[in-house]
Amino acid sequence: MSPPVTNSHTSFGPYTGTPKLMVPAFAVGILCLLATLGGFFATDAKGETAHAYLIGFTYWVGISVAFLIMQAIFHTAKAKWLIVLRRTMETASAVIPVFFVLALPLLAMAAYLYPWWEGSELTKGYSSLELEHLSHKQHGYLNNHFSFPPGVGLRHIIYFGVWSFAAWRLRSWSLKQDTEGGLDFTVKQRKFSPGVLPFLALTITFASFDWLMSLTPLWQSTIFGVYYFAGSFLAAFCILTIVTVNAQGKDLYGSVVKLDHFHNLGKLMLAFTAFWAYIAFSQFMLVWIANIPEEAPWYGLRMFGPWRSMSIALFFLHFLLPFGILLSRKLKLQPRKLAVVAVYLLIIHAVDLYWLVWPALTGDAGPTFHWSLLTAFFGVGGIAVGFALFLARGHYTLTVKDPYIAESLRYVQP
Amino acid sequence: MEATVLDSWVLAEFSTPDALVTATRQMREKGFEGMDTYSPYPLHGGSEALGLPPSRVPFIALCGGLTGVATALAMQTWMNTIDYPLNIGGRPLLSLPAWVPITFELGVLFAAFGIFFGLLGLSRLPQPYHPVFESEEFRTASTHGYWLSVPQATGTDAAPVMDQLKALGATQVTLVTGEKE
Repeated sequence: MSPPVTNSHTSFGPYTGTPKLMVPAFAVGILCLLATLGGFFATDAKGETAHAYLIGFTYWVGISVAFLIMQAIFHTAKAKWLIVLRRTMETASAVIPVFFVLALPLLAMAAYLYPWWEGSELTKGYSSLELEHLSHKQHGYLNNHFSFPPGVGLRHIIYFGVWSFAAWRLRSWSLKQDTEGGLDFTVKQRKFSPGVLPFLALTITFASFDWLMSLTPLWQSTIFGVYYFAGSFLAAFCILTIVTVNAQGKDLYGSVVKLDHFHNLGKLMLAFTAFWAYIAFSQFMLVWIANIPEEAPWYGLRMFGPWRSMSIALFFLHFLLPFGILLSRKLKLQPRKLAVVAVYLLIIHAVDLYWLVWPALTGDAGPTFHWSLLTAFFGVGGIAVGFALFLARGHYTLTVKDPYIAESLRYVQP
Repeated sequence: MEATVLDSWVLAEFSTPDALVTATRQMREKGFEGMDTYSPYPLHGGSEALGLPPSRVPFIALCGGLTGVATALAMQTWMNTIDYPLNIGGRPLLSLPAWVPITFELGVLFAAFGIFFGLLGLSRLPQPYHPVFESEEFRTASTHGYWLSVPQATGTDAAPVMDQLKALGATQVTLVTGEKE
Protein backbone atom coordinates (compact mmCIF):
# COMPACT_ATOMS: atom_id res chain seq x y z
CA MET A 1 0.00 0.00 0.00
CA SER A 2 1.29 3.43 -0.91
CA PRO A 3 1.00 6.35 1.48
CA PRO A 4 -1.74 8.92 0.93
CA VAL A 5 -0.87 11.94 -1.15
CA THR A 6 -1.94 15.29 0.18
CA ASN A 7 -2.27 18.68 -1.42
CA SER A 8 -3.79 21.79 0.03
CA HIS A 9 -7.37 20.81 -0.84
CA THR A 10 -7.82 17.09 -0.77
CA SER A 11 -6.15 14.04 0.57
CA PHE A 12 -6.01 10.96 -1.63
CA GLY A 13 -5.29 7.43 -0.59
CA PRO A 14 -5.34 4.33 -2.75
CA TYR A 15 -8.86 3.20 -3.67
CA THR A 16 -9.73 0.57 -1.09
CA GLY A 17 -12.49 -0.82 -3.25
CA THR A 18 -15.88 -1.22 -1.76
CA PRO A 19 -17.40 -4.64 -2.40
CA LYS A 20 -20.78 -2.87 -2.63
CA LEU A 21 -20.33 -2.52 -6.38
CA MET A 22 -17.91 -5.26 -7.30
CA VAL A 23 -19.74 -8.19 -5.72
CA PRO A 24 -23.11 -7.42 -7.35
CA ALA A 25 -21.39 -6.85 -10.68
CA PHE A 26 -19.69 -10.25 -10.50
CA ALA A 27 -22.88 -11.92 -9.23
CA VAL A 28 -25.02 -10.49 -12.04
CA GLY A 29 -22.28 -11.28 -14.53
CA ILE A 30 -21.82 -14.90 -13.54
CA LEU A 31 -25.54 -15.64 -13.17
CA CYS A 32 -26.43 -14.05 -16.51
CA LEU A 33 -23.51 -15.73 -18.22
CA LEU A 34 -24.53 -19.14 -16.87
CA ALA A 35 -28.12 -18.50 -18.00
CA THR A 36 -26.94 -17.59 -21.50
CA LEU A 37 -24.65 -20.59 -21.81
CA GLY A 38 -27.34 -22.81 -20.32
CA GLY A 39 -29.74 -21.47 -22.92
CA PHE A 40 -27.28 -22.32 -25.64
CA PHE A 41 -26.34 -25.82 -24.54
CA ALA A 42 -29.65 -26.97 -23.07
CA THR A 43 -32.33 -25.45 -25.28
CA ASP A 44 -33.14 -25.41 -28.97
CA ALA A 45 -32.65 -21.67 -29.26
CA LYS A 46 -29.02 -22.15 -30.29
CA GLY A 47 -29.04 -19.51 -33.03
CA GLU A 48 -30.67 -16.90 -30.79
CA THR A 49 -28.37 -17.45 -27.82
CA ALA A 50 -25.26 -17.57 -30.00
CA HIS A 51 -26.10 -14.29 -31.75
CA ALA A 52 -27.11 -12.67 -28.47
CA TYR A 53 -23.82 -13.72 -26.92
CA LEU A 54 -21.90 -12.30 -29.87
CA ILE A 55 -23.68 -8.94 -29.38
CA GLY A 56 -22.87 -8.87 -25.68
CA PHE A 57 -19.26 -9.88 -26.27
CA THR A 58 -18.53 -7.42 -29.09
CA TYR A 59 -20.24 -4.62 -27.16
CA TRP A 60 -17.98 -4.81 -24.13
CA VAL A 61 -14.73 -5.85 -25.76
CA GLY A 62 -15.11 -3.01 -28.26
CA ILE A 63 -15.39 -0.49 -25.45
CA SER A 64 -12.36 -1.92 -23.68
CA VAL A 65 -10.24 -1.71 -26.81
CA ALA A 66 -11.59 1.79 -27.49
CA PHE A 67 -10.29 2.86 -24.08
CA LEU A 68 -6.87 1.53 -25.05
CA ILE A 69 -6.89 3.40 -28.37
CA MET A 70 -8.08 6.53 -26.55
CA GLN A 71 -5.06 6.41 -24.21
CA ALA A 72 -2.68 5.80 -27.08
CA ILE A 73 -4.13 8.75 -29.00
CA PHE A 74 -3.89 11.08 -26.02
CA HIS A 75 -0.30 10.02 -25.26
CA THR A 76 0.59 10.52 -28.91
CA ALA A 77 -0.93 13.99 -28.85
CA LYS A 78 0.84 14.69 -25.53
CA ALA A 79 -2.51 15.89 -24.20
CA LYS A 80 -2.46 17.07 -20.62
CA TRP A 81 -6.02 18.05 -19.79
CA LEU A 82 -7.27 14.47 -19.47
CA ILE A 83 -4.53 13.19 -17.16
CA VAL A 84 -6.90 13.39 -14.20
CA LEU A 85 -9.19 10.93 -16.07
CA ARG A 86 -6.47 8.63 -17.35
CA ARG A 87 -6.44 6.04 -14.58
CA THR A 88 -10.02 5.09 -15.45
CA MET A 89 -9.03 4.49 -19.07
CA GLU A 90 -6.07 2.38 -17.97
CA THR A 91 -8.23 0.24 -15.71
CA ALA A 92 -10.95 -0.19 -18.33
CA SER A 93 -8.50 -1.36 -20.97
CA ALA A 94 -6.63 -3.66 -18.58
CA VAL A 95 -9.79 -5.83 -18.59
CA ILE A 96 -8.97 -7.01 -22.14
CA PRO A 97 -7.39 -10.38 -21.20
CA VAL A 98 -10.67 -11.38 -19.54
CA PHE A 99 -12.37 -11.09 -22.91
CA PHE A 100 -10.02 -13.70 -24.29
CA VAL A 101 -11.60 -16.15 -21.86
CA LEU A 102 -15.08 -14.77 -22.51
CA ALA A 103 -14.55 -15.46 -26.22
CA LEU A 104 -14.18 -19.19 -25.61
CA PRO A 105 -17.94 -19.95 -25.73
CA LEU A 106 -17.94 -18.54 -29.26
CA LEU A 107 -15.90 -21.57 -30.26
CA ALA A 108 -18.88 -23.77 -29.55
CA MET A 109 -21.29 -21.24 -31.01
CA ALA A 110 -19.39 -20.64 -34.26
CA ALA A 111 -21.31 -23.27 -36.20
CA TYR A 112 -24.55 -21.39 -35.46
CA LEU A 113 -23.06 -17.99 -36.31
CA TYR A 114 -20.77 -18.30 -39.31
CA PRO A 115 -21.67 -19.93 -42.62
CA TRP A 116 -17.97 -20.40 -43.43
CA TRP A 117 -17.43 -22.58 -40.36
CA GLU A 118 -16.79 -26.19 -41.34
CA GLY A 119 -19.87 -28.20 -40.57
CA SER A 120 -22.11 -25.15 -40.34
CA GLU A 121 -25.58 -25.67 -41.74
CA LEU A 122 -26.09 -21.98 -42.37
CA THR A 123 -25.08 -22.38 -46.02
CA LYS A 124 -28.30 -24.23 -46.86
CA GLY A 125 -29.80 -21.35 -48.81
CA TYR A 126 -26.60 -20.62 -50.73
CA SER A 127 -26.44 -21.11 -54.51
CA SER A 128 -23.69 -23.29 -55.98
CA LEU A 129 -21.90 -20.16 -57.16
CA GLU A 130 -21.93 -18.68 -53.68
CA LEU A 131 -20.77 -21.95 -52.18
CA GLU A 132 -17.87 -22.07 -54.58
CA HIS A 133 -16.92 -18.52 -53.72
CA LEU A 134 -17.00 -19.36 -50.05
CA SER A 135 -15.01 -22.57 -50.29
CA HIS A 136 -12.42 -21.50 -52.86
CA LYS A 137 -12.00 -17.76 -52.77
CA GLN A 138 -12.58 -17.05 -49.09
CA HIS A 139 -11.42 -20.25 -47.49
CA GLY A 140 -7.84 -19.00 -47.20
CA TYR A 141 -8.97 -16.27 -44.83
CA LEU A 142 -12.14 -17.59 -43.27
CA ASN A 143 -11.44 -21.08 -41.98
CA ASN A 144 -11.36 -22.93 -38.72
CA HIS A 145 -7.62 -22.59 -38.24
CA PHE A 146 -6.58 -19.01 -38.79
CA SER A 147 -9.59 -16.94 -37.99
CA PHE A 148 -11.69 -18.00 -35.22
CA PRO A 149 -11.25 -20.56 -32.54
CA PRO A 150 -10.26 -18.30 -29.69
CA GLY A 151 -7.19 -19.85 -28.20
CA VAL A 152 -6.41 -21.78 -31.35
CA GLY A 153 -7.11 -19.32 -34.15
CA LEU A 154 -3.92 -17.55 -35.08
CA ARG A 155 -5.47 -14.16 -35.72
CA HIS A 156 -7.38 -14.28 -32.49
CA ILE A 157 -4.18 -14.79 -30.54
CA ILE A 158 -2.59 -11.86 -32.33
CA TYR A 159 -5.51 -9.53 -31.54
CA PHE A 160 -5.64 -10.30 -27.88
CA GLY A 161 -1.86 -10.46 -27.64
CA VAL A 162 -1.42 -6.95 -29.04
CA TRP A 163 -4.23 -5.47 -26.97
CA SER A 164 -3.27 -7.11 -23.69
CA PHE A 165 0.39 -6.25 -24.13
CA ALA A 166 -0.29 -2.59 -24.94
CA ALA A 167 -2.88 -2.15 -22.20
CA TRP A 168 -0.78 -3.74 -19.47
CA ARG A 169 2.40 -1.99 -20.61
CA LEU A 170 0.82 1.45 -20.39
CA ARG A 171 -0.90 0.65 -17.11
CA SER A 172 2.15 -0.81 -15.38
CA TRP A 173 4.26 2.23 -16.27
CA SER A 174 1.55 4.47 -14.96
CA LEU A 175 1.25 2.49 -11.72
CA LYS A 176 5.01 2.52 -11.17
CA GLN A 177 4.96 6.28 -11.66
CA ASP A 178 2.49 6.51 -8.76
CA THR A 179 5.23 5.48 -6.35
CA GLU A 180 8.43 6.52 -8.11
CA GLY A 181 7.31 9.68 -9.90
CA GLY A 182 9.56 11.34 -12.43
CA LEU A 183 9.39 12.01 -16.11
CA ASP A 184 10.78 8.66 -17.32
CA PHE A 185 7.51 6.78 -17.42
CA THR A 186 5.73 9.61 -19.19
CA VAL A 187 8.45 9.60 -21.83
CA LYS A 188 8.08 5.83 -22.23
CA GLN A 189 4.30 6.08 -22.61
CA ARG A 190 4.65 8.83 -25.16
CA LYS A 191 7.16 6.86 -27.20
CA PHE A 192 5.28 3.59 -27.00
CA SER A 193 1.84 4.94 -27.92
CA PRO A 194 2.42 6.26 -31.45
CA GLY A 195 4.27 3.04 -32.23
CA VAL A 196 1.44 0.80 -31.15
CA LEU A 197 -1.40 2.84 -32.69
CA PRO A 198 -1.13 1.37 -36.21
CA PHE A 199 -1.29 -2.13 -34.75
CA LEU A 200 -4.33 -1.24 -32.68
CA ALA A 201 -6.06 0.17 -35.76
CA LEU A 202 -5.33 -2.97 -37.79
CA THR A 203 -6.31 -5.44 -35.06
CA ILE A 204 -9.65 -3.79 -34.26
CA THR A 205 -10.43 -3.63 -37.99
CA PHE A 206 -9.70 -7.29 -38.61
CA ALA A 207 -11.35 -8.35 -35.37
CA SER A 208 -14.54 -6.62 -36.50
CA PHE A 209 -14.27 -8.44 -39.83
CA ASP A 210 -13.86 -11.78 -38.09
CA TRP A 211 -16.51 -11.32 -35.42
CA LEU A 212 -19.21 -9.31 -37.15
CA MET A 213 -18.74 -8.90 -40.89
CA SER A 214 -18.16 -12.59 -41.54
CA LEU A 215 -21.67 -13.34 -40.27
CA THR A 216 -22.53 -12.71 -43.91
CA PRO A 217 -19.25 -13.77 -45.51
CA LEU A 218 -20.21 -12.85 -49.05
CA TRP A 219 -20.66 -9.21 -48.10
CA GLN A 220 -17.57 -7.09 -47.60
CA SER A 221 -17.05 -3.50 -46.62
CA THR A 222 -13.59 -2.12 -45.92
CA ILE A 223 -14.97 0.66 -43.73
CA PHE A 224 -16.72 -1.84 -41.47
CA GLY A 225 -13.93 -1.80 -38.89
CA VAL A 226 -14.16 1.97 -38.56
CA TYR A 227 -17.91 1.68 -38.10
CA TYR A 228 -17.47 -0.76 -35.21
CA PHE A 229 -14.70 1.39 -33.76
CA ALA A 230 -16.72 4.62 -34.06
CA GLY A 231 -19.61 3.20 -32.04
CA SER A 232 -17.28 1.67 -29.46
CA PHE A 233 -15.23 4.84 -29.11
CA LEU A 234 -18.37 6.89 -28.51
CA ALA A 235 -19.52 4.35 -25.91
CA ALA A 236 -16.12 4.55 -24.20
CA PHE A 237 -16.48 8.33 -23.77
CA CYS A 238 -19.98 7.75 -22.39
CA ILE A 239 -18.66 5.28 -19.81
CA LEU A 240 -15.83 7.66 -18.90
CA THR A 241 -18.39 10.42 -18.30
CA ILE A 242 -20.64 8.21 -16.19
CA VAL A 243 -17.75 6.89 -14.08
CA THR A 244 -16.33 10.37 -13.54
CA VAL A 245 -19.68 11.83 -12.50
CA ASN A 246 -20.20 9.02 -10.01
CA ALA A 247 -16.64 8.83 -8.68
CA GLN A 248 -17.52 10.93 -5.64
CA GLY A 249 -16.38 10.12 -2.16
CA LYS A 250 -13.28 9.12 -0.28
CA ASP A 251 -10.20 8.52 -2.44
CA LEU A 252 -12.22 8.98 -5.64
CA TYR A 253 -11.15 11.44 -8.27
CA GLY A 254 -14.56 12.84 -9.22
CA SER A 255 -14.31 15.72 -6.74
CA VAL A 256 -11.17 17.21 -8.33
CA VAL A 257 -12.48 17.02 -11.90
CA LYS A 258 -13.37 20.47 -13.18
CA LEU A 259 -16.39 21.52 -15.19
CA ASP A 260 -13.97 22.15 -18.05
CA HIS A 261 -13.15 18.43 -18.17
CA PHE A 262 -16.82 17.54 -18.41
CA HIS A 263 -17.32 20.15 -21.08
CA ASN A 264 -14.55 18.47 -23.07
CA LEU A 265 -16.08 15.02 -22.57
CA GLY A 266 -19.39 16.41 -23.82
CA LYS A 267 -17.68 17.89 -26.85
CA LEU A 268 -15.99 14.57 -27.61
CA MET A 269 -19.34 12.78 -27.30
CA LEU A 270 -20.82 15.26 -29.77
CA ALA A 271 -17.88 14.80 -32.13
CA PHE A 272 -18.06 11.03 -32.09
CA THR A 273 -21.84 10.98 -32.48
CA ALA A 274 -21.21 12.88 -35.69
CA PHE A 275 -18.26 10.62 -36.56
CA TRP A 276 -20.42 7.50 -36.21
CA ALA A 277 -23.06 9.01 -38.49
CA TYR A 278 -20.42 10.07 -41.00
CA ILE A 279 -18.94 6.57 -41.19
CA ALA A 280 -22.33 4.85 -41.17
CA PHE A 281 -23.54 7.00 -44.01
CA SER A 282 -20.31 6.66 -45.98
CA GLN A 283 -20.63 2.89 -45.86
CA PHE A 284 -24.30 2.99 -46.77
CA MET A 285 -24.05 5.47 -49.59
CA LEU A 286 -21.25 3.71 -51.45
CA VAL A 287 -23.16 0.44 -51.37
CA TRP A 288 -26.45 2.08 -52.25
CA ILE A 289 -25.17 4.14 -55.15
CA ALA A 290 -23.12 1.31 -56.69
CA ASN A 291 -26.03 -1.09 -56.28
CA ILE A 292 -24.11 -4.20 -57.29
CA PRO A 293 -25.45 -7.65 -56.53
CA GLU A 294 -22.71 -8.80 -54.12
CA GLU A 295 -23.01 -5.74 -51.92
CA ALA A 296 -26.62 -4.63 -52.06
CA PRO A 297 -28.34 -7.52 -50.21
CA TRP A 298 -26.84 -6.63 -46.82
CA TYR A 299 -28.50 -3.22 -46.97
CA GLY A 300 -31.45 -4.49 -48.98
CA LEU A 301 -32.39 -6.67 -46.04
CA ARG A 302 -32.18 -3.67 -43.71
CA MET A 303 -33.79 -1.12 -46.05
CA PHE A 304 -36.90 -2.98 -47.12
CA GLY A 305 -39.29 -5.14 -45.19
CA PRO A 306 -39.48 -5.38 -41.42
CA TRP A 307 -35.99 -3.95 -40.70
CA ARG A 308 -36.76 -0.68 -42.49
CA SER A 309 -38.29 1.16 -39.56
CA MET A 310 -35.40 0.18 -37.31
CA SER A 311 -32.81 1.43 -39.81
CA ILE A 312 -34.60 4.78 -40.09
CA ALA A 313 -35.01 4.93 -36.32
CA LEU A 314 -31.25 4.42 -35.90
CA PHE A 315 -30.55 7.48 -38.02
CA PHE A 316 -32.76 9.60 -35.79
CA LEU A 317 -31.95 8.03 -32.43
CA HIS A 318 -28.23 7.35 -32.87
CA PHE A 319 -27.46 10.58 -34.68
CA LEU A 320 -30.00 13.37 -35.02
CA LEU A 321 -31.45 13.30 -31.49
CA PRO A 322 -28.17 13.00 -29.50
CA PHE A 323 -26.45 15.41 -31.88
CA GLY A 324 -29.14 18.03 -31.36
CA ILE A 325 -29.08 17.55 -27.60
CA LEU A 326 -25.29 17.62 -27.32
CA LEU A 327 -25.05 20.83 -29.36
CA SER A 328 -26.21 22.69 -26.28
CA ARG A 329 -23.34 24.26 -24.36
CA LYS A 330 -25.46 24.54 -21.22
CA LEU A 331 -26.06 20.80 -21.15
CA LYS A 332 -22.38 19.96 -21.49
CA LEU A 333 -21.68 22.09 -18.41
CA GLN A 334 -24.08 20.02 -16.28
CA PRO A 335 -22.27 16.72 -15.55
CA ARG A 336 -25.34 14.89 -14.21
CA LYS A 337 -27.41 15.63 -17.28
CA LEU A 338 -24.47 14.78 -19.51
CA ALA A 339 -24.30 11.40 -17.77
CA VAL A 340 -27.97 10.82 -18.60
CA VAL A 341 -27.24 11.44 -22.28
CA ALA A 342 -24.27 9.06 -21.93
CA VAL A 343 -26.54 6.30 -20.60
CA TYR A 344 -28.90 6.88 -23.51
CA LEU A 345 -26.02 6.61 -26.00
CA LEU A 346 -24.83 3.39 -24.38
CA ILE A 347 -28.26 1.86 -24.87
CA ILE A 348 -28.48 3.00 -28.46
CA HIS A 349 -25.00 1.57 -29.13
CA ALA A 350 -26.34 -1.84 -28.04
CA VAL A 351 -29.26 -1.38 -30.43
CA ASP A 352 -26.76 -0.55 -33.18
CA LEU A 353 -24.90 -3.83 -32.61
CA TYR A 354 -28.21 -5.70 -32.56
CA TRP A 355 -28.97 -4.10 -35.93
CA LEU A 356 -25.61 -5.37 -37.24
CA VAL A 357 -25.92 -8.91 -35.94
CA TRP A 358 -29.55 -9.96 -35.62
CA PRO A 359 -30.60 -9.69 -39.30
CA ALA A 360 -28.07 -12.44 -40.03
CA LEU A 361 -30.20 -14.68 -37.82
CA THR A 362 -33.80 -13.77 -38.54
CA GLY A 363 -33.50 -12.33 -42.05
CA ASP A 364 -36.83 -11.33 -43.54
CA ALA A 365 -38.66 -12.25 -40.34
CA GLY A 366 -37.51 -8.92 -38.92
CA PRO A 367 -36.54 -7.86 -35.44
CA THR A 368 -37.36 -10.34 -32.71
CA PHE A 369 -36.58 -10.40 -29.03
CA HIS A 370 -34.97 -13.22 -27.13
CA TRP A 371 -34.30 -13.24 -23.39
CA SER A 372 -30.66 -14.15 -23.96
CA LEU A 373 -30.07 -10.69 -25.47
CA LEU A 374 -30.38 -9.29 -21.97
CA THR A 375 -28.58 -12.09 -20.13
CA ALA A 376 -25.65 -12.03 -22.57
CA PHE A 377 -25.37 -8.25 -22.34
CA PHE A 378 -25.38 -8.19 -18.54
CA GLY A 379 -23.39 -11.41 -18.29
CA VAL A 380 -20.37 -10.17 -20.23
CA GLY A 381 -20.87 -6.64 -18.90
CA GLY A 382 -21.13 -7.69 -15.27
CA ILE A 383 -17.93 -9.67 -15.42
CA ALA A 384 -16.08 -6.90 -17.28
CA VAL A 385 -17.22 -4.20 -14.84
CA GLY A 386 -16.56 -6.42 -11.83
CA PHE A 387 -13.05 -7.16 -13.05
CA ALA A 388 -12.37 -3.48 -13.71
CA LEU A 389 -13.39 -2.66 -10.13
CA PHE A 390 -11.20 -5.50 -8.91
CA LEU A 391 -8.22 -4.06 -10.82
CA ALA A 392 -8.88 -0.59 -9.43
CA ARG A 393 -8.48 -1.79 -5.85
CA GLY A 394 -5.29 -0.80 -4.07
CA HIS A 395 -4.35 1.89 -6.57
CA TYR A 396 -4.95 5.60 -6.73
CA THR A 397 -7.95 6.63 -8.81
CA LEU A 398 -5.88 9.29 -10.50
CA THR A 399 -2.27 9.38 -11.61
CA VAL A 400 -0.98 11.19 -8.53
CA LYS A 401 2.66 11.61 -9.56
CA ASP A 402 2.26 12.32 -13.24
CA PRO A 403 4.47 15.35 -13.90
CA TYR A 404 1.55 17.11 -15.59
CA ILE A 405 -1.20 16.23 -13.11
CA ALA A 406 -1.15 19.74 -11.64
CA GLU A 407 -1.69 21.23 -15.08
CA SER A 408 -4.56 18.87 -15.67
CA LEU A 409 -6.16 19.75 -12.34
CA ARG A 410 -6.21 23.46 -13.10
CA TYR A 411 -7.11 23.01 -16.74
CA VAL A 412 -9.06 25.87 -18.28
CA GLN A 413 -10.39 25.27 -21.73
CA PRO A 414 -9.34 27.76 -24.33
CA MET B 1 -23.60 73.23 -38.13
CA GLU B 2 -24.22 70.29 -35.83
CA ALA B 3 -21.60 69.95 -33.14
CA THR B 4 -19.53 66.76 -33.34
CA VAL B 5 -19.99 64.39 -30.43
CA LEU B 6 -16.61 63.53 -28.98
CA ASP B 7 -15.91 60.35 -27.01
CA SER B 8 -13.03 59.84 -24.61
CA TRP B 9 -11.24 56.85 -23.21
CA VAL B 10 -8.65 56.38 -20.57
CA LEU B 11 -6.08 53.89 -21.83
CA ALA B 12 -3.89 51.94 -19.45
CA GLU B 13 -1.04 49.60 -20.31
CA PHE B 14 -0.17 46.57 -18.20
CA SER B 15 2.99 44.55 -18.48
CA THR B 16 1.49 41.04 -18.23
CA PRO B 17 -1.79 39.43 -19.34
CA ASP B 18 -2.51 38.37 -15.74
CA ALA B 19 -2.16 41.94 -14.50
CA LEU B 20 -4.55 43.11 -17.22
CA VAL B 21 -7.18 40.48 -16.38
CA THR B 22 -6.94 41.21 -12.64
CA ALA B 23 -7.16 44.95 -13.18
CA THR B 24 -10.13 44.55 -15.53
CA ARG B 25 -11.98 42.49 -12.97
CA GLN B 26 -11.29 44.96 -10.19
CA MET B 27 -12.32 47.95 -12.31
CA ARG B 28 -15.57 46.20 -13.18
CA GLU B 29 -16.21 45.47 -9.51
CA LYS B 30 -15.79 49.20 -8.86
CA GLY B 31 -18.66 49.81 -11.28
CA PHE B 32 -16.92 50.84 -14.51
CA GLU B 33 -18.78 49.78 -17.63
CA GLY B 34 -18.14 49.61 -21.34
CA MET B 35 -14.47 48.71 -20.91
CA ASP B 36 -12.48 46.76 -23.45
CA THR B 37 -9.21 44.86 -23.42
CA TYR B 38 -6.52 44.76 -26.11
CA SER B 39 -3.75 42.21 -26.34
CA PRO B 40 -1.47 40.87 -29.08
CA TYR B 41 -2.98 37.39 -28.76
CA PRO B 42 -6.18 35.79 -27.32
CA LEU B 43 -6.48 36.56 -23.63
CA HIS B 44 -7.40 33.75 -21.22
CA GLY B 45 -10.19 34.86 -18.93
CA GLY B 46 -10.51 38.24 -20.65
CA SER B 47 -14.17 38.00 -21.56
CA GLU B 48 -15.04 36.65 -18.09
CA ALA B 49 -13.22 39.61 -16.50
CA LEU B 50 -15.12 42.02 -18.74
CA GLY B 51 -18.39 40.28 -17.82
CA LEU B 52 -19.41 39.88 -21.45
CA PRO B 53 -22.72 38.10 -22.12
CA PRO B 54 -22.62 34.69 -23.89
CA SER B 55 -21.65 35.02 -27.52
CA ARG B 56 -24.42 35.12 -30.11
CA VAL B 57 -22.19 33.58 -32.78
CA PRO B 58 -23.29 29.93 -32.13
CA PHE B 59 -26.92 30.88 -32.74
CA ILE B 60 -26.00 32.64 -36.00
CA ALA B 61 -23.95 29.57 -37.01
CA LEU B 62 -26.91 27.28 -36.34
CA CYS B 63 -29.21 29.49 -38.42
CA GLY B 64 -26.61 29.54 -41.19
CA GLY B 65 -26.25 25.76 -41.09
CA LEU B 66 -30.00 25.18 -41.25
CA THR B 67 -30.31 27.67 -44.12
CA GLY B 68 -27.60 25.76 -45.97
CA VAL B 69 -29.36 22.43 -45.42
CA ALA B 70 -32.70 23.82 -46.59
CA THR B 71 -31.11 25.49 -49.63
CA ALA B 72 -29.31 22.31 -50.66
CA LEU B 73 -32.38 20.10 -50.30
CA ALA B 74 -34.60 22.55 -52.18
CA MET B 75 -32.02 23.09 -54.92
CA GLN B 76 -31.43 19.39 -55.55
CA THR B 77 -35.11 18.53 -55.43
CA TRP B 78 -35.92 21.19 -57.96
CA MET B 79 -33.00 20.36 -60.26
CA ASN B 80 -33.41 16.59 -60.23
CA THR B 81 -37.18 16.25 -60.31
CA ILE B 82 -38.44 19.35 -62.15
CA ASP B 83 -35.75 21.20 -64.03
CA TYR B 84 -33.75 18.34 -65.53
CA PRO B 85 -35.08 14.92 -64.57
CA LEU B 86 -32.66 12.10 -65.45
CA ASN B 87 -33.13 8.39 -64.99
CA ILE B 88 -29.93 7.13 -63.35
CA GLY B 89 -29.81 3.36 -63.07
CA GLY B 90 -33.53 3.21 -62.46
CA ARG B 91 -33.32 5.08 -59.19
CA PRO B 92 -36.26 7.24 -58.18
CA LEU B 93 -35.95 10.88 -59.20
CA LEU B 94 -36.24 11.89 -55.57
CA SER B 95 -33.27 9.91 -54.17
CA LEU B 96 -32.47 11.47 -50.85
CA PRO B 97 -29.34 9.41 -50.00
CA ALA B 98 -27.56 10.82 -53.05
CA TRP B 99 -28.24 14.36 -51.85
CA VAL B 100 -26.78 14.03 -48.42
CA PRO B 101 -23.17 14.93 -49.36
CA ILE B 102 -24.23 18.22 -51.01
CA THR B 103 -26.60 18.94 -48.13
CA PHE B 104 -23.82 18.34 -45.64
CA GLU B 105 -21.33 20.50 -47.54
CA LEU B 106 -23.74 23.38 -47.97
CA GLY B 107 -24.77 23.14 -44.32
CA VAL B 108 -21.12 23.42 -43.27
CA LEU B 109 -20.41 26.21 -45.74
CA PHE B 110 -23.35 28.36 -44.64
CA ALA B 111 -22.57 27.71 -40.97
CA ALA B 112 -19.00 28.87 -41.63
CA PHE B 113 -20.32 31.96 -43.43
CA GLY B 114 -22.56 32.59 -40.43
CA ILE B 115 -19.59 32.39 -38.06
CA PHE B 116 -17.29 34.51 -40.21
CA PHE B 117 -19.68 37.30 -41.15
CA GLY B 118 -21.59 37.05 -37.87
CA LEU B 119 -18.37 37.63 -35.95
CA LEU B 120 -17.38 40.54 -38.21
CA GLY B 121 -20.83 42.08 -37.82
CA LEU B 122 -21.01 41.68 -34.06
CA SER B 123 -17.51 43.13 -33.65
CA ARG B 124 -18.44 45.96 -36.04
CA LEU B 125 -15.50 45.11 -38.27
CA PRO B 126 -13.89 46.21 -40.48
CA GLN B 127 -13.30 49.43 -38.60
CA PRO B 128 -10.57 51.44 -40.31
CA TYR B 129 -10.49 54.25 -37.77
CA HIS B 130 -10.94 54.55 -34.03
CA PRO B 131 -9.71 57.42 -31.82
CA VAL B 132 -7.52 55.06 -29.77
CA PHE B 133 -5.29 54.74 -32.80
CA GLU B 134 -4.29 58.38 -32.21
CA SER B 135 -2.25 57.30 -29.21
CA GLU B 136 1.28 56.51 -30.23
CA GLU B 137 1.91 54.32 -27.16
CA PHE B 138 -1.15 52.19 -27.89
CA ARG B 139 0.70 50.60 -30.83
CA THR B 140 2.30 48.16 -28.41
CA ALA B 141 -1.12 46.45 -28.19
CA SER B 142 -0.15 44.58 -31.34
CA THR B 143 3.32 43.58 -30.13
CA HIS B 144 3.82 43.25 -26.38
CA GLY B 145 1.43 45.54 -24.51
CA TYR B 146 -1.74 44.60 -22.67
CA TRP B 147 -4.19 47.50 -22.70
CA LEU B 148 -7.42 48.36 -20.99
CA SER B 149 -9.72 51.13 -22.17
CA VAL B 150 -12.19 52.78 -19.83
CA PRO B 151 -14.82 55.15 -21.26
CA GLN B 152 -14.65 58.66 -19.85
CA ALA B 153 -17.21 61.43 -20.28
CA THR B 154 -15.57 64.02 -22.53
CA GLY B 155 -14.46 67.15 -20.72
CA THR B 156 -14.55 65.67 -17.22
CA ASP B 157 -11.52 65.21 -15.03
CA ALA B 158 -9.86 61.88 -15.84
CA ALA B 159 -7.31 62.06 -13.03
CA PRO B 160 -9.26 59.90 -10.50
CA VAL B 161 -9.65 57.06 -13.02
CA MET B 162 -6.03 57.32 -14.04
CA ASP B 163 -4.93 57.15 -10.41
CA GLN B 164 -7.04 54.08 -9.81
CA LEU B 165 -5.55 52.36 -12.86
CA LYS B 166 -2.04 53.22 -11.74
CA ALA B 167 -2.83 51.81 -8.32
CA LEU B 168 -3.82 48.55 -10.04
CA GLY B 169 -0.40 48.31 -11.66
CA ALA B 170 -0.73 50.17 -14.96
CA THR B 171 2.68 51.04 -16.35
CA GLN B 172 1.32 54.05 -18.23
CA VAL B 173 -2.04 55.77 -18.63
CA THR B 174 -3.23 58.21 -21.24
CA LEU B 175 -6.44 59.89 -22.34
CA VAL B 176 -7.65 59.89 -25.93
CA THR B 177 -10.53 61.91 -27.32
CA GLY B 178 -12.01 61.80 -30.75
CA GLU B 179 -14.94 61.23 -33.01
CA LYS B 180 -15.91 57.59 -32.94
CA GLU B 181 -17.46 57.05 -36.34
